[in-house]
Amino acid sequence: MSYFNVEKEVKEAKKSLNECVDFSYRYFKRGEQKIAFVYLKSIIDPSLFSSAIYFPIQTYDDKFTFEVIKNDLIKCVDIKEVKKKDIVKEILDGRVILLTNFSEKILSVDLLKFPTRTPSEPPTSPVIQGPREGFVEDMQTNITLLRRRIKSQDLVMDVVRIGNQTQTKVCITYLKGVANKKIVTLVRQKLNNIKIDGVLDSYNILYCLEERPGSLFKQIGNTEKPDIVVSKLLEGKVAIIVDNSPIVLTIPFIFIEDLQNSNDYYTNHHYSSFVRIIRFLGLLIALIAPGFYLALQLFHYNILPLNFLITIADTTQGLPFTPFLEILFIFLLFQVLYEVSLRLPSYLGLATSVVGALILGDTGVKAGLISPPGVIIVALSKIALYTIPEQAPQITVLQLVFIVLGGSLGLAGIVSGMVYIGNYLNNFDSFFTPYLAPYSPRINEDLKDALLMNPTYSMRHRPRSFSPQKKERL
Amino acid sequence: MKNRIKAILKTPMVIVFIVILLFYTPFAIYSPGENRNRGVVTALGIDKTEQQYEISLLTFIPTANQSYQEKSSVISGKGDSVAEAVYNAQIAMGRTIGLAHAKTTIVNEELLSEDVTSTIDYLSRIASLPENTVFVCTNKSAKEMLEQSHDLVNDLGLKLEQIIAYNANNLYVTDTSLEAFYKGYFSFVKSSIIGYLEIEDDTNMSEDNSEVSGAENTSEGQSEGTQGSANSTSANGGAKNKHIVNQGQAILLKEGKKVAVLDVEQLNGINLLNDKSVGQIIEIEDVKKEDQIFSMQYKVKTKKVLITTKFENGNPIYMAQLILGVELVEVDGEHDDLRINTEFSEITEDISTKLESKVKQQFTNSINILRENDTDVIGIGRTFFQNDRKSLKKFIENLGGVEEADKFIDYVTFKLNVIVQPE
Amino acid sequence: MKKISINQCGVLIVMCIFANKILLMPSLMYERTSADSIFVLALLFLLDFIILPIFIKLKTLYPDQKFYDVLKEKIGIFFTKLIYIAMLLFFLFKCLLVFSITYVYFKQQIYQDEFLFIALIAFLPVINHAVFVGIRSFSRTIELFFWIVIAGFIICLAISLFTPISSPLFFMSSVSDFFSSMHNHIFAFGDFMFFFVIMDRIDFKKGNIKNLYYYSLFAIALVITLFYLFYAKYQTTAFMHNNALADLLVFSVQFNAIGRLDIIAMLTIMLITLFQMEIFSYAFCDCFMGIFPLNKIYSVVVFDILFLLLYYVFIGRYETMVVSSLHWLPYLALLINYLLPFIILIIVLLKLKRNKSG
Repeated sequence: MSYFNVEKEVKEAKKSLNECVDFSYRYFKRGEQKIAFVYLKSIIDPSLFSSAIYFPIQTYDDKFTFEVIKNDLIKCVDIKEVKKKDIVKEILDGRVILLTNFSEKILSVDLLKFPTRTPSEPPTSPVIQGPREGFVEDMQTNITLLRRRIKSQDLVMDVVRIGNQTQTKVCITYLKGVANKKIVTLVRQKLNNIKIDGVLDSYNILYCLEERPGSLFKQIGNTEKPDIVVSKLLEGKVAIIVDNSPIVLTIPFIFIEDLQNSNDYYTNHHYSSFVRIIRFLGLLIALIAPGFYLALQLFHYNILPLNFLITIADTTQGLPFTPFLEILFIFLLFQVLYEVSLRLPSYLGLATSVVGALILGDTGVKAGLISPPGVIIVALSKIALYTIPEQAPQITVLQLVFIVLGGSLGLAGIVSGMVYIGNYLNNFDSFFTPYLAPYSPRINEDLKDALLMNPTYSMRHRPRSFSPQKKERL
Repeated sequence: MKNRIKAILKTPMVIVFIVILLFYTPFAIYSPGENRNRGVVTALGIDKTEQQYEISLLTFIPTANQSYQEKSSVISGKGDSVAEAVYNAQIAMGRTIGLAHAKTTIVNEELLSEDVTSTIDYLSRIASLPENTVFVCTNKSAKEMLEQSHDLVNDLGLKLEQIIAYNANNLYVTDTSLEAFYKGYFSFVKSSIIGYLEIEDDTNMSEDNSEVSGAENTSEGQSEGTQGSANSTSANGGAKNKHIVNQGQAILLKEGKKVAVLDVEQLNGINLLNDKSVGQIIEIEDVKKEDQIFSMQYKVKTKKVLITTKFENGNPIYMAQLILGVELVEVDGEHDDLRINTEFSEITEDISTKLESKVKQQFTNSINILRENDTDVIGIGRTFFQNDRKSLKKFIENLGGVEEADKFIDYVTFKLNVIVQPE
Repeated sequence: MKKISINQCGVLIVMCIFANKILLMPSLMYERTSADSIFVLALLFLLDFIILPIFIKLKTLYPDQKFYDVLKEKIGIFFTKLIYIAMLLFFLFKCLLVFSITYVYFKQQIYQDEFLFIALIAFLPVINHAVFVGIRSFSRTIELFFWIVIAGFIICLAISLFTPISSPLFFMSSVSDFFSSMHNHIFAFGDFMFFFVIMDRIDFKKGNIKNLYYYSLFAIALVITLFYLFYAKYQTTAFMHNNALADLLVFSVQFNAIGRLDIIAMLTIMLITLFQMEIFSYAFCDCFMGIFPLNKIYSVVVFDILFLLLYYVFIGRYETMVVSSLHWLPYLALLINYLLPFIILIIVLLKLKRNKSG
């Protein structure tokens, strides 16, 4: 009695997959007994297939039963029985389907293999000291990287599939008993509500997760480094790993996280504090330097020291633009150069930076189009921007806003702008977390890991900003 | 479209961006910049000539690729009042006047013959003029002074200030700013001190400058020094027939009117009880040592002052103990053996007595000047007030009320005790 | 309900205490009472300070109730509305006074040309936005900038020590001058009344209530130090200097390389003014919503209209504003600063008595 018409099933599967070129099948016949192997040859490991599946079956002399095949013959780790309707899905996941004409059960064996990177130091966050591993595109590897660091039964990893077409696996990771339940529930709810065609990268679901979609400010953290993710999990955050993306999202996110760098925890804390202050100053300079310079030039010439005033007046005299247009022009010039140098191959990038810096800047000054102080100020703010590269897009937009404010309203405009942004961000609790914590509201325990950093051994509490269930770190 | 607008309205940040970009940008683009339509005044002078005021402004007008000297010029305007004169000067300049960087205000001596506050009232009302602008007086016209300072190759808008700053730090009781003037003017004694710089005609340019001016006042060692430095700056100016002379003098004002010009020695006398003022040279003569006669110069290195006041039978007595740490800096006389020098550093009783009497003499002279003019600039009355308010009030009431409080200094008996120590 | 912590409450207290006192008041007071103004100030602060324990007691007795409801329950809806109207005017005029004093400072020292337009379009939107986002958000912002403001303030005070200062002469004014000066300047005080308005939005559970006292004493100490240093520095010319905090920064010997430090005072004053206006406009809108149960947006619009109208039409010039703050506004202040706390005190005492007997 035959349960399956094996050939027919294979044909059907082939049809459902639109007769793809990489669709493969193989029969094994012994007497009446027929076994068919169906798979996509592009994503399975062929050598493993022959050694762990085909070879044992071929060399087995006795009569086949389903149990024998499942329990004794196949030498793979991940074996499961599946239903007939799931065959196509299983094949797409890189599994080999075993159909037999002597059992109604269908066996699916995981042989998924595709070219992956080995974990290497991510270019976005290089470190001087500390672990250099970075996440890769393969989710399994990423989970391995996390699992290697947290050997705890509390580590929860739930997988959901998102994307009607891509069916991308998305893994929610958190520490049970540590992460705030409210946050976990909210994240899960938001993930389940995502209606999207395809997920190519974690950024595709980032915008669906945000509590204030459309806001300029970053609401969800992202990193490429497993050690950072682990430290965030330990703080009680939720991490989201998306298949095919080396970038892992962490929720909730607060502003101070971008001032913190993983390097800080691996060096002396005095030095780390110093560096963090420098970063903060860099942020301030990047944000308001051009606007401030404009305000001084346009409205408050009286508070400039005389010698500096003379210099500015000298150099801006005879320019064809008003000060505002001049700064705007330099600003746009720098932005264009930046975009160009980012996109071009590195050997050309060098050339453009030479052209940009030397030819455009110097000749611009000499031709009397732009003034040296203006170039210096904008360049300074553009360089300072990269003390916190994670916030660069946001700050670039705000730079422009502050240029307009400083140019139209002077210092009052800049101060109002700062206060406005402060009010806005303080009204901006995403995932039950105050955005500007621990400074506003002031959370004294969390100040240990703020601008002035305490040594890591003294951080015995998890940050209260994220309201973790278990407050002690032990 | 409707949904889109709704979506935009839901995010206030976007609205703010739009508002800022649409409404504020035109202002910014239009704005030409303060420094382009303002003349930055670095010093201003006021003169009075024949019932008319003349305002001179040392103005910096920015022009590309020129040195400071070429860019600054003295612009003046005349008018019946100071405000009108400034207005006229502004018209002459063709730019709005920016006074925020005016670090020096100069008036000529003639203005001080009557209450100067009526003249500088305009200045005190301009908020943008810094209160700490230096306030000095000159013997000729302020305009000439500014022209002199302007003509110097060194940017003397700053240089002039440095001379005055040196004076203020080392010679005067207070600094010589507009603020300090008003502070004295509104106090009970209604008197203040402001700096005094002279302009001299150079009759003979071939002669060495320091000789010309040095001849006027050779008795005072320190004034010679300051004079020398000022003259050397003017010598840099090239072949000019006028130059600025700093003899460290100051003008004593009573109710805004000039009452006396104080020279360095008098200023030092006034400052004797001010422990911050050190560095004076005290000269004593006729010191006998090993049958030889020397004149010796001592420099005050440290100063300690103890002041007590009391009323004895209703009479105010001001007692001060002055401990001077001095250092021998020069010995004049017929001594060919330089080794003797070390022996001189010892302060004998003779030297000590001479020094003390010299200091006392200096003090008495200065106090007499203050007494003559009822100008208690060193705060004698204030010290009494702080120590024994009741008796002072009683005393002043006997004098004729608060209006007469400035005459208090005339009735004070001074007892000065000087102790000289080698430093 | 979004509540603010004790710490944020303390920060608001500091901003309120600074209101109207750090720029013009020292020189205004000096005209009448010379250096004794410090004692006038101290006495007025003392009177103000008494309100704080009353407030804390009321808050502990009625932890989650609105002030409006407490009053309504005790003295009836008519008087409650009357008191709220008085408070509404009080906060409106305070806001106007803060703005006009700062406006003059800016006009004199920062913006050379007409600044009113700039000030309005720079400040009003931020203030309105603050009312919209609510007290928790803007008090957090104040908390964020708090130490920057305080640092600026202290730098201004510290730099004045670089110039020669001598102790001002005390006890020069007569008793009648002393008390009339007290009466005249009363409008600048009474800042604790703000906390009654936001009573239901303060969370007393977290943090130490004592901190409120420390914060207010700290602010009072800073203001008194400011007065002292200002008088010590300027002595007889104190009346000529209208912007105490900024004028403290001015060097008397400005020949050093530091250049101009005015920027510190400017930023500090701008921030303080902005925060104070936020606080007072919030109080206004809250009182308005107490009287008329309308949407927040109406209260903001009414505030803007009244603010602009009063500024342009009724008050117009800065002198008029200052003069009215000295002459007829003190009567309003008397009502709010002293009569109202007295009523509250009676309410508290009655409640305590009932609690005991019950």
